[in-house]
Parts: sequence; structure tokens; C-alpha cells
Amino acid sequence: MTTSVDQVMVSVTEGSLPKVLDDLREAGLVVDTVLEALGVVTGTVEVRSIPALQSVPGVIDVERQWRVQLPPY
Amino acid sequence: MTDPVEEEFTGRFLVLLQEDAIDEGVAELGAIAGFDPNSGDLDPDTVQVFPELGVAVVSADPNLLTELNGAAERPGPVQIVEPERVVHLFDAAREEEEPSAEADESVLTWGLQAVGADISTATGKGVKIAVLDTGFEKNHPDFAGRTITTKSFITGEDVQDGHGHGTHCIGTSAGPRKPATAPGYGIAYEAEIFAGKVLSNAGSGSDGGILAGIDWAVSNGVAVISMSLGADVSPGTPYSQIYETVAQRAMAKGTLIVAAAGNASSRPAKVAPVGHPARCPSIIAVAAIDVNRAIAFFSSGTVDKIGQIDVAGPGVDVYSSFKLPEKYARLRGTSMATPHAAGVAVLIAEKTGARGFELWARLALTALRLPLPSTDVGGGLVQAP
Repeated sequence: MTTSVDQVMVSVTEGSLPKVLDDLREAGLVVDTVLEALGVVTGTVEVRSIPALQSVPGVIDVERQWRVQLPPY
Repeated sequence: MTDPVEEEFTGRFLVLLQEDAIDEGVAELGAIAGFDPNSGDLDPDTVQVFPELGVAVVSADPNLLTELNGAAERPGPVQIVEPERVVHLFDAAREEEEPSAEADESVLTWGLQAVGADISTATGKGVKIAVLDTGFEKNHPDFAGRTITTKSFITGEDVQDGHGHGTHCIGTSAGPRKPATAPGYGIAYEAEIFAGKVLSNAGSGSDGGILAGIDWAVSNGVAVISMSLGADVSPGTPYSQIYETVAQRAMAKGTLIVAAAGNASSRPAKVAPVGHPARCPSIIAVAAIDVNRAIAFFSSGTVDKIGQIDVAGPGVDVYSSFKLPEKYARLRGTSMATPHAAGVAVLIAEKTGARGFELWARLALTALRLPLPSTDVGGGLVQAP
């Protein structure tokens, strides 16, 4: 059984920080940064736990992080 | 010209799987395409998996593409689904990409002249601009004496720009008008600069660092964020709901986000869609034009209802500052058009006091209309107030 983790970003409703953090952690999120001005939390989570994050009260969206690469010159 | 059926497809699909979840990804594909990944010997005509690449090639009924795309859009191990393309030799590209040398750059770059910075009295004084990129060349002589706040969001790298791209974008948006060696190349030359390093010295980064950079900029009361970065996407890809939420919240707090549309087109044969995150409705997507006011061959464009070009800026043969020892470089890309637009937005912010959506409106409404499709250049070429 492989345990795969995903880097995710989570947007939450206005005013739900920092309370929502406990619930996110309980749902499996290892919090990386809490972006208070934006109402966004980034972190890593096991892929199978992503639906649990989405059902946390106060969570608006959960998305995988994209990677960005500049083109070579 | 933008008709996607010009591309030839094999009828198979390329599926990008999450690197560390190949098995889960194949299982999800099996559930959609109707094969059992645990049957032992998979028919290579049905599915081929390249674990090192994290890619699977799947034969599936074209009607399943919607479901496959749905799997790619949901969080989970299936990341990107694309029809497999028939590839031809690239035989007739990039003709006449050298701009005709009619621009007089003895004093200012052609880009500054094209956006009317040379005849504007605005300087950007008192307005904060953040450039989220590969950092900043701290030893560049052209920036001595400027107020520059820096922060790195890349683990293990300080803000020093080991790439050059970030220093180039900072130069265009907020560099000097009268450096020791002409031409001048900076639009908002008295703006207060925030240089956030969200891309590594190798030019790569991820959403986590970019969002952290946006948060930093918003928290510091920055009026304009310039982001010459992005990821190419397939037509029809939904925009990120999270970036859209972030952009709306930033705008409500007085911070406007300007981002590069992308360089994925090969005009005239192919127009690629606006990339992530510029395709979000509340982020300004910037296209690139050349010195002749023609659309740059690489400039991504509006190909569907998601991801529309908002404005255009100079993005070919753009002279600006660079990391040492080179000090200066001429680059092209929507990456170069974006800081032109961001710099002009700073000038408008200074002159009118506008922030957020009012600033967006003023930037868009004052753009110089161009005799080009709005799908390529939006409202036109940004103009200094």
C-alpha cells in the first residue's frame, strides 16, 4: 500500500481562521503556511484524505498545487 | 486560425499522473476506461504506463474524454489529460521574428515609448509594486539608493536572482529612466519595489510559494502585483477557484494582480489558451506585441470562454536589467509584456489614487485600441496616464 501525499491549497471563508486550522489538521492536513490576508492555507495531505478536507466546515475549495516553470532562454 | 481541429490526434490519450501515486492513478483510469489494473498483464493496446515519467497512454472511447478530464480536474492522482498528438517536423516557424529596427532606443526602450511612459509626468512615487519572480540582483548598480523590500519563498535560496528573469521584470516595471548607460528602461521609476522570490534560480516554483508571495504583498499594502509566471493548460481547462478567490480578496484590499498570458502559441498555426493563473477572471491577463504593434507569434490568446486576454504590452526585444555579470539583456515573452502593464498600472494608481477594481477599469479603459482581434490583445496596448 503506497501512501501518496499531495501539496494542496485550501481557501476558507472569511473569518474562519484560525479556528478552521484544527479541523484541517484533524482531517489530515500537514499545514505548511497560513496566509491570513488571503484566507488560504497551504500544506500536504494524503491523497485519500482530500475529500475529508473538502468537507471541513469553512472550507471553500481544495486544489492541488500547480508547478510553474519558466521557459529556457 | 484558432480551430483546434487543425491538430491531428491518434485517438489515444496522454495522462499525466502524480509522480508518487502512479498505482492510484492507473486504478482511477481503469475505473473510467473499463480495464482492471490488477489483472496482471495489461494489454499494451489498452494502456501503457511509464512510471519514470509518471505518464500513461490510454486507449479510450472519445466519449470518455469528459470523464478523464473530470478526473484530472479533481484533486487526486490524475493530473492532466491530453489527446495524443501526431507530431510533424516543425518546418516553417519563426520567420521574421527579428523586429524591423525602426525604433530609436537611444534614450528610452521602444516599450517605454509604446506605452507613452516618455510623455507621462507620473513616476510611481508613493506606490508599492511587488514583482513575484526569481528574485532580484541585489548588486545591480542601476538600483543603488532605491527602496527595495525583498523576501524569498524558495526553501534554501535567498532573494538573490541567480536566474535573471526577475531582475529583468523588476527593471521594466520599476527600473530607472536614466541609468549610467542608455537606454532607460523602467516605467514606474520612483515606485517602492517589493521583490518576492517565488521561482527558484532554475526558474521553477509552485502555487504554495506564489500564494505566499501574494499574501506578503497584500499584507504590505502593495497596489500592483506583477507575475510573469504561469503554467500552460489545455483549452477548456477550468480556472483555479482558489486563485480566483485570492484575486478577489486581494482586489478588495486594494491589490491588483497582473499576470502573463503565456507563450504557448505558434502563430499563425496555433493559438494556445491563456495559462494558469492568468486565466482567472479577476487576474489581468497580458498578451505580448512587437515593435510593429503586431501580436507576438508566441503570445497565448483567448480560445474559449475561460481565460480571456485583457490587455497587451511590449513583449518582443525588450531591453532591461539582468543579473550580473551580464547586467542587461534583451528578452521576449508575455513575461516582458506583464511588467509593462504592471508599471503602467502603478503610474495610474499614483496619478488617480485608484486601487483594486477601479484601477483595473482605468488600466483597461485607457488602453490604446489596436487593429487586432480582441481575442489576441483584449482592450489594446496599455498607456501611461
